[in-house]
Amino acid sequence: MSFEVWAEKYRPKRLSDMINQKTIVERLKSFAISRNVPHCIFAGPPGTGKTTAALCLARDLYGESYREHLMELNASDERGINVVRETVKTFARSRSIGEIPFKILILDEADNMTSDAQQALRRTMERYTETCRFIMCANYSGKIIEPIQSRCAPFRFGFLPREEHDAYIKQLAERENVPLLPDGVEAIFEVCSGDLRRAINTLQAAASMNMPIDSLLIYSVTGKASPVDVQKMLTTAISGDFLGARKQLRDMIQKYGVAGTDIIRQIHKEIFKAAISEPWKIKLAGIIGEIDFRLVEGSDEEVQLSALLARLVEAGNKIEKGK
Amino acid sequence: MPFLYTAWTIKHKPKSTNEIVGNKSAIKTLRDWLNSWERGAPKKRAAFLYGPPGIGKTVTVEALAHELQMELVEKNASDYRTEDAINRFAGLASQYGSLFGGKRIVLLDELDGLMGNADKGGVKAITNVVKTARCPIVLIANNAYNPRFRTLRGYCLLIEFKKPPAKTVLKHLQRINEREGIQSDENVLKFLAQRAEGDVRSAVNDFQALAQGKKQLKYDDVSWLAYRDRHESIFNVIKLIIYGRTSSGAKKAVNMADVDIDMLFEWIYENAPAHLNDPEDLVQAMDALAMADIYRGRIRASQDWSFMRYVIDYMTAGVAMARQNSKVSGWVPFKFPSRIMMLSRSKAKRAMLKKIGLKIKRKCHISANRASSEVLPYLRIIFKNNVLMAAGIARWLDLDEEMVDYIAESKSKAQKIIENLS
Repeated sequence: MSFEVWAEKYRPKRLSDMINQKTIVERLKSFAISRNVPHCIFAGPPGTGKTTAALCLARDLYGESYREHLMELNASDERGINVVRETVKTFARSRSIGEIPFKILILDEADNMTSDAQQALRRTMERYTETCRFIMCANYSGKIIEPIQSRCAPFRFGFLPREEHDAYIKQLAERENVPLLPDGVEAIFEVCSGDLRRAINTLQAAASMNMPIDSLLIYSVTGKASPVDVQKMLTTAISGDFLGARKQLRDMIQKYGVAGTDIIRQIHKEIFKAAISEPWKIKLAGIIGEIDFRLVEGSDEEVQLSALLARLVEAGNKIEKGK
Repeated sequence: MPFLYTAWTIKHKPKSTNEIVGNKSAIKTLRDWLNSWERGAPKKRAAFLYGPPGIGKTVTVEALAHELQMELVEKNASDYRTEDAINRFAGLASQYGSLFGGKRIVLLDELDGLMGNADKGGVKAITNVVKTARCPIVLIANNAYNPRFRTLRGYCLLIEFKKPPAKTVLKHLQRINEREGIQSDENVLKFLAQRAEGDVRSAVNDFQALAQGKKQLKYDDVSWLAYRDRHESIFNVIKLIIYGRTSSGAKKAVNMADVDIDMLFEWIYENAPAHLNDPEDLVQAMDALAMADIYRGRIRASQDWSFMRYVIDYMTAGVAMARQNSKVSGWVPFKFPSRIMMLSRSKAKRAMLKKIGLKIKRKCHISANRASSEVLPYLRIIFKNNVLMAAGIARWLDLDEEMVDYIAESKSKAQKIIENLS
């Protein structure tokens, strides 16, 4: 068993190492061979290889010294317009040394950029195309403004299919020499639903306990690892305890730094399984959609989600009264 | 559903005059005057107690009645508007003894409540009754020198109640503290006593809001009160909003608050749910707050502050009008917005999260924010269960001892990991 972060240790180095996103990888390979890369948007859920693909492409293009030609920025840490005006611009306009005339800027979590910053970025992209190519990674391409989208080649990343996921996880367990039982593999897929980074982190955390890894161990790990116990919060609200549910929500947001959009995505997933009447489920889905939109607009996460919790209290109350 | 408590102002109300803090000479004057009735009706048939709110005027009368074994008939003065009520009052006042041989005091509280022309007749009627009263009448008001009381004043023994000094208020708080079995820092009670500026009742209310359900009270728990408005307490303002009957009344409360709109929003957002126990009311109130928040966002986006009026409409009138079916029995204390408290308390913690997040970011191609929610939880499990793997990762991520401490959440575990670092 090795003592580093496995998700990094096993991150593919070259495009040919990548096991998934076959069609995307093929096109990226052709970019590397022709030594030309357009501006790109890599869109897709977390843990599907967007950043990895961008890093692999860079290594295939520039070789082991790829770091000299690459800048990695994370929009959710540096999301303001000043970053675009200064850091990005300075990097983009300086000429690259070497055979390839352009450098690559990876803008991770680009959907977290403010629209002002995106507008500024659009001009930078245009002016310095010769010296810099942008790869924007995002969960939702819809949060990237149209003018940028139209300047980029879009790539849609999807979750790993079940078989490939299982094969990969099993192989990784073998290489690390940890006992992984079949129902453990199944459980990993169930809780991580194809998010490979999460799957590997889950496996490593389970392995650190030095026990055979079965489904129970996986569930206990994810239980401990996930500060987002949305199900519990929903149950609390439906049982009528609004203040308790709001406290749980507050802990998620403040203590664990969970993003409101992540919480609402999970609420949406859970709501159809919740103990409320069928007509209420679709009614709530509509409310969830509205609140999701408000969050994207930049409203206060806790206040907006509390309004949803109040609806759940009402829904639970109606059930109790048999309505 | 919220927990309901009895108000400490009632629970710990002084039962005898020696438990009352301050105003010793005023109490003595009143006692002597009451005793003088034994020798027949004195020249002044009514005592007029006046002074600022919350310093024990009513409590004094209640305690004296108890000690002198007199029957206390207590009325709120604003009830004395109809002829009927005045006649009943006159009837009560016309006899010294009650039916069972006891002696009687008639107390008319909150005389300030008689307002404007409509009540002019009320003051006059009371004056007439006082002139011929055959049992002691006690009148209470904040301001006896209101011109409306000019004639009435002439027939009354005026007794002024003054704000007790902080030292004296402190004594009362200490007594409650002891009875409730709370471990309070000495400076907590001192602070509360001082900032009450003589208003014992508000000091007790503050104390309860802070200490209810707690075993310990530290200075940090109360220091935020320093920001509270001294003239119109925030507690009164949010009460006017959460229990507002009219839209305009709830809206007006905003002007009385000495906190900014965002802070007032936090107070309402924190407290409204506990005072609305009907689910539909709760939905209405939370929706209104969500709408207020949306308009705050629109102000941010457009920098057009004229939208502020909609923020205020929703957060005040919107919340007040949500109350349709809620019945709140008992007393629910208003609380300081806990998410503000959490924010300031978890500041150091969040700074640490950020530092660790940046270390992870450097190695794992993930934002510091995402790192703390997506990678850190797994590291925690590893740091708890596997010292060698934890040490390996700590070295790889270049974590310092403080960070290891934080992730392992246990000194001894962290120590073992650190020993394995080199």
